[in-house]
Amino acid sequence: MKIFYTVLIVLMGTSIIFSQDLRKPPEGMVLVAEGGFIMGSKYGDHDEQPQQIAYTKAFFIDKYEISNTEFAKFDPNFEFPASKKDNAAIVTWSQADAYAKWAGKRLPTEKEWEKAARGIDGRVFPWGNTYDNTYVVWDQKSTRGTSIAKPASPYGCYDMAGGVWEWTADWYKPYPGNNTPMEQYGEKYKVMRGGSNFNNHSFVRTSQRYYVLPEKISNYPVGFRCVLDIE
Amino acid sequence: MDNKLRPCLLFLCFLFVAIQTRAQKVNKFPSKTDPLHKKVAQFDKLMLGNHWNEGAIMQHVIFPPAGLDRPIVGSQADCLDPTSEMLAAYSHKYALTKDEKDRDIANQIFEAILKLEKVTGVSGLVARSFNQTDEPLWHEEVMWYHEWHQSTSMPGYRWLGDLSADKFTSIFYGVGTFWEICADAEYKDKAAGLLDRFIGRVIDNNFKLTDLDGKMTLWGNFCPDLPHQSLNSLEMLAALKVTHRITGKERFNAAYHMLIDRYQYDDHQINSKILFPKEWRNVGDDYHAARSLYMLMRFEDDPKLLNKYRMNLNRHWYDWKDIEFTWESTIWFVMVYQVLTGEDIMTEERRQAIKDMWGFERRMKEFNIPQKDGSFKKVKSEEERTAAAMIRNYWFGRYYGIIDEKW
Repeated sequence: MKIFYTVLIVLMGTSIIFSQDLRKPPEGMVLVAEGGFIMGSKYGDHDEQPQQIAYTKAFFIDKYEISNTEFAKFDPNFEFPASKKDNAAIVTWSQADAYAKWAGKRLPTEKEWEKAARGIDGRVFPWGNTYDNTYVVWDQKSTRGTSIAKPASPYGCYDMAGGVWEWTADWYKPYPGNNTPMEQYGEKYKVMRGGSNFNNHSFVRTSQRYYVLPEKISNYPVGFRCVLDIE
Repeated sequence: MDNKLRPCLLFLCFLFVAIQTRAQKVNKFPSKTDPLHKKVAQFDKLMLGNHWNEGAIMQHVIFPPAGLDRPIVGSQADCLDPTSEMLAAYSHKYALTKDEKDRDIANQIFEAILKLEKVTGVSGLVARSFNQTDEPLWHEEVMWYHEWHQSTSMPGYRWLGDLSADKFTSIFYGVGTFWEICADAEYKDKAAGLLDRFIGRVIDNNFKLTDLDGKMTLWGNFCPDLPHQSLNSLEMLAALKVTHRITGKERFNAAYHMLIDRYQYDDHQINSKILFPKEWRNVGDDYHAARSLYMLMRFEDDPKLLNKYRMNLNRHWYDWKDIEFTWESTIWFVMVYQVLTGEDIMTEERRQAIKDMWGFERRMKEFNIPQKDGSFKKVKSEEERTAAAMIRNYWFGRYYGIIDEKW
């Protein structure tokens, strides 16, 4: 019996060890573990419904949005005011996609973005369920990570609520089981997430979806962060 | 210069000036040293002459040749603000003068707000602005994002969607004031009908402004289930109070008390004014709060609720009492505070600021006009901003005895 318990404890211990992803995230990235999470919302816009359990593989994601300085390393012709070198870069979808590929990464899917922002428990905001102005970067005028309270998402990402909107890889399509018709669904618009505090508080919810033409962002401040697959 | 070329050039110059003059309609500006009533009268002519778009008042007018064949086209996202200000202005003016001409202008402006609903083709959905045109206008691409629609209910018109909380406030403030002191029986019914449909649709959508796509607009959140600004709680309570008063329909009263009893909007609204950190103070938001409190505090008679609204006003006054009169709305804040509290807070400095009110300068500006081939062409043209707030302030002040007609 003693041997049985010893083996069991060893097995349980090793299973925990082996179930963890032992790869260290590259600098500036955090690990998002494989598994299910609560995606969508019961009370947001109709395109956030139905709320569901969604799954992702493990992946790494940038802690912060890509800055102007970082983007300019990829595109030396990218212009920005000297005072905004640390601000999130505002770019079109194809610019964001090209940067991600250049960096050996890719843009996050909606699922990946939402999981990185809210963790597994279905929280409304990256930090919990209550809004406060001090939790967010007001808009692109401020630099990344400069909110007063500096709350991180459950996986350690910053500014996933407020700051600039963020590109995802996905076209704007209905979630499985969503039967509300919308002429914008299809492969015309890309989904941006995270809101900008220039808009109302509800737009910085982790489940909020918004569609925009990938190459015509006009007045929308849209930036991005990248993900890296784990082999 | 070639003798044949010279007359041609002269003729072209004459043609250009003639077109400009005709397009600009009103070109006479008052002098800064003129008495207030004279300045207001002249800016009123400029607004009605140059900014009039089938009754709607344009916030920004660009004159030909900036890619245009007619004026009254510019950035149109905020047109409901000057439209409601001119509606309120003419309502106050009519209440004083009892001149049917003033009432007729107010009626026409109100009809434009009705048209802003009609053009969307959806009952209760109100546009930000409209243009009579079959084709997209150049500024649609560069001055607002892709929220312009071709009207299906009014062929030959295009309209701008994505209505926001501040324009929502413009509607109940302007229409409410019109109903209260200007509209005759027929127009009272029309005003009640409009607010019944408009605010009723917001209630039906769980206190959200929703667009044609069924999604909440970027700034249209009053929803008790969603996080929203305290200011939006105030605006929603004010809208419901005004609409209940005007329509007499119990559903608006029930919604008002539901938001208070179940969701504590009465407590939430107290903090509409962000006082600290100081750099977050926003006089733009104060304007929406001032219009909401002006309507709400005069229509509410429950002392407990009035006390909470007064708390909100006090928080604003903490900032307003020392405010610099940098634009017309800040002058209006002080007048609103005096009207709502009955306190005599008019100092000589504030009186002088009212007397010094000014509308706008006409300026030359270079516009980057998108062409059909995707390129851009730089064109210099004249533009005007709005004097509607100044005109509203004047007649508001006259109505409440704050401004002397001899000023």
